[in-house]
Amino acid sequence: MLTKTKAVDGASIKQAIEGRDGKLLSSFYADDALVRVIDRNNPPSKPREIRGRAAISTFWDDICSRAMTHKVDTTIAEGDNLAFTQACAYPDGTKVFCAATLELKNGLIARQTVVQAWDE
Amino acid sequence: MRPIETRYARSGDVRIAYQVAGQGALDLVFVPGFISNLDLQWEDEGYSRLLKRLSTFSRLILFDKRGTGLSDRIDSRHLPSVETRMDDVRAVMDAVGSGRAALLGASEGAPIAMLFAATYPERTRALVLYGGYAHFHKWVMPPERLEAFIETAETAWGTGATLPGFAPGRMEDAHFIQWWARFERLSASPTAASSLARLDAGIDMRGILSTIRVPTLLIHRRSDVRVDPEASRFLARNIRGARLVEIPGRDHPVWTGDVDRVADIMEEFLTGQPAVADTERVLAALLATRIYDTAKLGDRMWSERRQRFHETWRLLVGRHGGRVGGPHGELMIARFDGPARAIRCAAALREVAQQIGVASAQGIHVGEIELRGQPVGLTARVTMQLAIHAGRGDIIASRLVADLAVGSGLHFVDAGRITLDELGEPLPVVQATSEQHLEPACRSKARPAEPAALTARESEVVSLIADGKSNAAIAAALKLSEHTVKRHVANILLKLDLPSRAAAAAFSARHAGPEGP
Repeated sequence: MLTKTKAVDGASIKQAIEGRDGKLLSSFYADDALVRVIDRNNPPSKPREIRGRAAISTFWDDICSRAMTHKVDTTIAEGDNLAFTQACAYPDGTKVFCAATLELKNGLIARQTVVQAWDE
Repeated sequence: MRPIETRYARSGDVRIAYQVAGQGALDLVFVPGFISNLDLQWEDEGYSRLLKRLSTFSRLILFDKRGTGLSDRIDSRHLPSVETRMDDVRAVMDAVGSGRAALLGASEGAPIAMLFAATYPERTRALVLYGGYAHFHKWVMPPERLEAFIETAETAWGTGATLPGFAPGRMEDAHFIQWWARFERLSASPTAASSLARLDAGIDMRGILSTIRVPTLLIHRRSDVRVDPEASRFLARNIRGARLVEIPGRDHPVWTGDVDRVADIMEEFLTGQPAVADTERVLAALLATRIYDTAKLGDRMWSERRQRFHETWRLLVGRHGGRVGGPHGELMIARFDGPARAIRCAAALREVAQQIGVASAQGIHVGEIELRGQPVGLTARVTMQLAIHAGRGDIIASRLVADLAVGSGLHFVDAGRITLDELGEPLPVVQATSEQHLEPACRSKARPAEPAALTARESEVVSLIADGKSNAAIAAALKLSEHTVKRHVANILLKLDLPSRAAAAAFSARHAGPEGP
């Protein structure tokens, strides 16, 4: 298990995402966490599911290896639930917008759902 | 959705055309084989299917190598090295902001992908090599065959003449042959094709294999006509930790054959999870009907009759509860909820064809197809192959169709097995026979069995049956394949309205003589 270096809240998530810090992001998740991604190719009836911290680490490593910008704009927190929006841009100008909801358990992310839309 | 945008990355002084499809977290760069064309590939059913599958779990990055497709042309007097072509991959990755990507190297793309992985391990997440090789002359073609290939390229480029060397299993697919000819023309000029072939002939990556340190998956079709499967076995032995998956088939391009199987294997390797079951597929019975002119009608008469048959086909498919699909060359495809409906429709179509004065041949198969859109994919291709294999008036169905139609009152006779490229084992097939109450015009039961109804070859076969010979023995005696003998036996039983080989033997004995069999 990775050492958790920061409390999981809107500010730490914003710092990790905008700094493309995959290791820090991965440390926010519970061992058995589930991330669900819904987009054009993975519709609500069959979202892409990434289970467990190892797979989620790979997921964030892949995303953070991209030379792109991320901006976390709106963060809402209520008890063990967090939500934020994220605007991203690739070097070729392609823009992506994501809205994510998170459920925390014992201070770690247990479940996250991401809905994303891309320029296409 | 807008069409996928084509952009250009700069690699030195050369512009490399690229496209990005998909929204996955993983970057996957497709390094194409001999030739490619970014725009054209989406028009082919198999190519498009493969790219769509890969883009469900990745950000798929496609490009045309320099000298091909939409990228800048190359100077045939100064051919680029493999290193230069590898650097084009890096230039494209930089342009799309990909710091680290999995590389899918197909065929000639495999050596380029291997060199990239060895040179930039920090930017290579994984390697997937399909139909790949490390040494051209050893596993693709020796120098003398290369000269023959270049000769073909220089004299017949753009006509689809290279197709037999890549995908012989598609040689009877008129639509694909036309697409392949366009693929040649729009992917490279004749000079560029010859130059690229000479360039590829110099490939020898054997020395770098031990330096590759990234997770590697190898996929190769067992009977690949273009690249010897030994090529991937060699790679498996020499790339540390590489996993080799051999799949059935002989057609070489990654986008031909069972692309779903290829995509499933890649997805599981790259994501660590099996592909999400595609819930938009349903079980359906497909009927492929082809008609042809045996009476030398002349173009005008044939065109009129064909038009008449097409109109009646639409009507009859609707009446039998089916849905018409798009034409595939001379083949008409219809989809039904159950096999019995498809068979009854086929019988009605056979009758109509006889009335109109054209020859019909039909195939029926059952399998999963996409819920939406035209019936495409493996089930559709197998159905079309059955129709192509069927003789005049035949309704050839897979054995599965007969099994599912039990209780329908329909009758079938065994018609042996058909070997299809995309299936691991020969497919057992049956011939749908007449159903008296529905299609009396097809074959009159009242007509007495006459030896004269048999062809000379069938008479020979029936005589050998009477001698107690097996199909294999008859095949050997007449220098035919066993499958052909089975077809003859089925036809004999049909024509003479006999239930078994024993009855055929008895018939032969009864009619023995100067006029008999």
